[in-house]
Amino acid sequence: MKAVDIALKDLWHSVRNAMFIVFGLLLPMSTGALFYFAFGGQSGGDEGFALAPIEVQVVNLDEGQMGFSAGELLSGVLRDAIPDLIHAREASDATAARAAVDRQQAAVAVIVPAGFTAAIMELEGRAAVELYEDPTLTLGPGIVRGVLSQLVDGFAGTKIAASTAHDQLAASGLSPDATTMQAVAMEYADWTQTVSEGQQSGTNPLFEIQAPPAQEQEGNEGVTGILALIMAGMMVFYVFFTGAASAQSILLEEEAGTLPRLFTTPTRQSTILGGKFISTFMLLAMQVVVLVIISGLLFGVDWGDPLPVAAVTVALVVLASSFGIFITSFLRDTRQGGIIYGGVMTVMGMLGMITVFTGTVPTASNATNTVSLIVPQGWAVRAWRLLLDGAGFGEVLPTVAVMMAAGIVFFVVGVLKFRNRYA
Amino acid sequence: MNNGSAVQARGLHKSFGDVNAVRGVSFEVNAGEIFSLLGPNGAGKSTTISILACLLQPTKGDASVMGHSVLKESMGVKAAIGVVPQEIALYEDISARENLSFWGKMYGLRGPKLAQRVDEVLEVIGLTSRQKGRVDKFSGGMKRRLNIGIALLHKPQVIIMDEPTVGIDPQSRRNILDNVKELNRQGMTVLYTTHYMEEAQELSDRIAIMDQGQIIARGTHDQLVKIVGELDRINLTLSASSEQLLAAWRSTDGVHQVSATAQPDEPVLDGAVTLLVDDSNVVLPRILEKATNAGVRVTSIDIQEPNLEAVFLHLTGRALRD
Repeated sequence: MKAVDIALKDLWHSVRNAMFIVFGLLLPMSTGALFYFAFGGQSGGDEGFALAPIEVQVVNLDEGQMGFSAGELLSGVLRDAIPDLIHAREASDATAARAAVDRQQAAVAVIVPAGFTAAIMELEGRAAVELYEDPTLTLGPGIVRGVLSQLVDGFAGTKIAASTAHDQLAASGLSPDATTMQAVAMEYADWTQTVSEGQQSGTNPLFEIQAPPAQEQEGNEGVTGILALIMAGMMVFYVFFTGAASAQSILLEEEAGTLPRLFTTPTRQSTILGGKFISTFMLLAMQVVVLVIISGLLFGVDWGDPLPVAAVTVALVVLASSFGIFITSFLRDTRQGGIIYGGVMTVMGMLGMITVFTGTVPTASNATNTVSLIVPQGWAVRAWRLLLDGAGFGEVLPTVAVMMAAGIVFFVVGVLKFRNRYA
Repeated sequence: MNNGSAVQARGLHKSFGDVNAVRGVSFEVNAGEIFSLLGPNGAGKSTTISILACLLQPTKGDASVMGHSVLKESMGVKAAIGVVPQEIALYEDISARENLSFWGKMYGLRGPKLAQRVDEVLEVIGLTSRQKGRVDKFSGGMKRRLNIGIALLHKPQVIIMDEPTVGIDPQSRRNILDNVKELNRQGMTVLYTTHYMEEAQELSDRIAIMDQGQIIARGTHDQLVKIVGELDRINLTLSASSEQLLAAWRSTDGVHQVSATAQPDEPVLDGAVTLLVDDSNVVLPRILEKATNAGVRVTSIDIQEPNLEAVFLHLTGRALRD
């Protein structure tokens, strides 16, 4: 009962402490919010980046040839490729299109010159599609340029294919006529288009874009996925800080004289230290639960099934509070605490969080995963990442077991050191 | 073992590395008395108190409180004592009442009994009207009183007070001293440490003088004073030196010694004279008359009756507050 009295007293002190409110709750939340807004999350849930539509003026001066118009194809692609993002409109002439860009009514003017199709069809033909861009913009014109480049590269490829076919036929003593060359060009164009469509639909037979595992998550996609990962990292980072700071109350009470005074009362030393440890545990549990709930409500983070979330929460609380007790047991006074918390804990926290920042870099993930597991924070981050990837209880259990085991070791060492200190 | 004695210390030693803070301290505190440990800072008083409060284990020796050994029955000792530490040890971010309630729980009090004791202690320490105020808003004196109040919650048989009046205003000091006397009047045994001679003199039934980790003298105030004899000391400053006057004083009835320095180890000052006399009340008029007759004006007079300061000086060659 006395242990609970001590725990409640400490807990009451902690929750009224501005440092806990700032470092325990506000900083993790505000860091998450910072990323959330930085990635455009304010414009709508899980829909990803909300870019403003790119206004494009298209002038097609190409007459086409033999029923085919490369200019028309190019205009159509611009119109239909990403209709939500690229708003392509026909302009009456090149001057009007450029004027629209100058007035910032359009981000880009795309001017397809006369004879564009003929230039593609003829072996010696030359033509250039003009892109007239608003120099104050970068992203919109860049996207339009990317779309056009892909198409124009296809045309250039067609031309090279036709030229190569012509040279090979000529070398064989054959003299291909215009219809044959056109058939070659059309066949190449069809193949290019198939490949291009395959790229867009993810079924390209030549190469494949493979997303890292973190992007295959079920519950958190886009901005929310990034935010969830950052929230997890921040939560682990600050929970370990809170654990150490809470355990530091033992040193603070020692310096204030209240701990020695407690030892003059008929209260066992184990009860006094036990009360302080209970307080640390309760404080961290409260912090994690609040952060999990608020991040879910405010940012739509889906932490996963309640059972594995509960298991990881308990493991994090045990590990962080035990680690706080462990590290504080090595300190002589709170002055040393400043150095430890300011330096060592920060470095360890950053090391543990390293996978949060490299999570989207496939080549870095394995190495950083290994490095981050040197510190207890790394295991905690790993557990939360598993949850965000949709892991079930069985999948998080090994990591939870490691966290609990490490927590017990830290706790036992810390308690023994404190017992010897006040014996 | 407990033959009317509340506290017994037997051959206590305590070393911190090479430093011997307490060296063979033995004393007894009788039940119902106020016993003071008097000595300068660093004499070993607080270390001795810490051993009795079970905060430190003696390197050698043992002590008991109400028959409980500090080595073997520390919980029994702790239940019997209330400790007032030298430094104020309170939770400053909560109220006086919340402090008392918390500490009361640590002494095993619960429910209505706890509430009743908190009310009573608040009354005793004069903080009833400020019971809901946060402690960090209190004056030093109020904190000192609350610091004492905590030690009274469980009605201990022995209260151990380690320099409870350090750094407070005269009014609060007076209040604390009166409280100590009142507690003792109610039957509580008090073990009090101080480096203020006046406090030890006013409060104590018996006093042990400590220096450099040892008790160098003990007894009642009168017994201790007799160590330096019963002569009064009169320190005078004269407007001019006069060998003729000094000779006249030496031949005066009731004057035992005349020297031209204030203290034996102080440099000779012009016009400063110290006389050791039987009774200053009787002898002083004669001395002043002879000064007038010699045409010498007395510019200052300081009369010192035998006291603990003189005892300490006599025993150690140093002033108590050095």
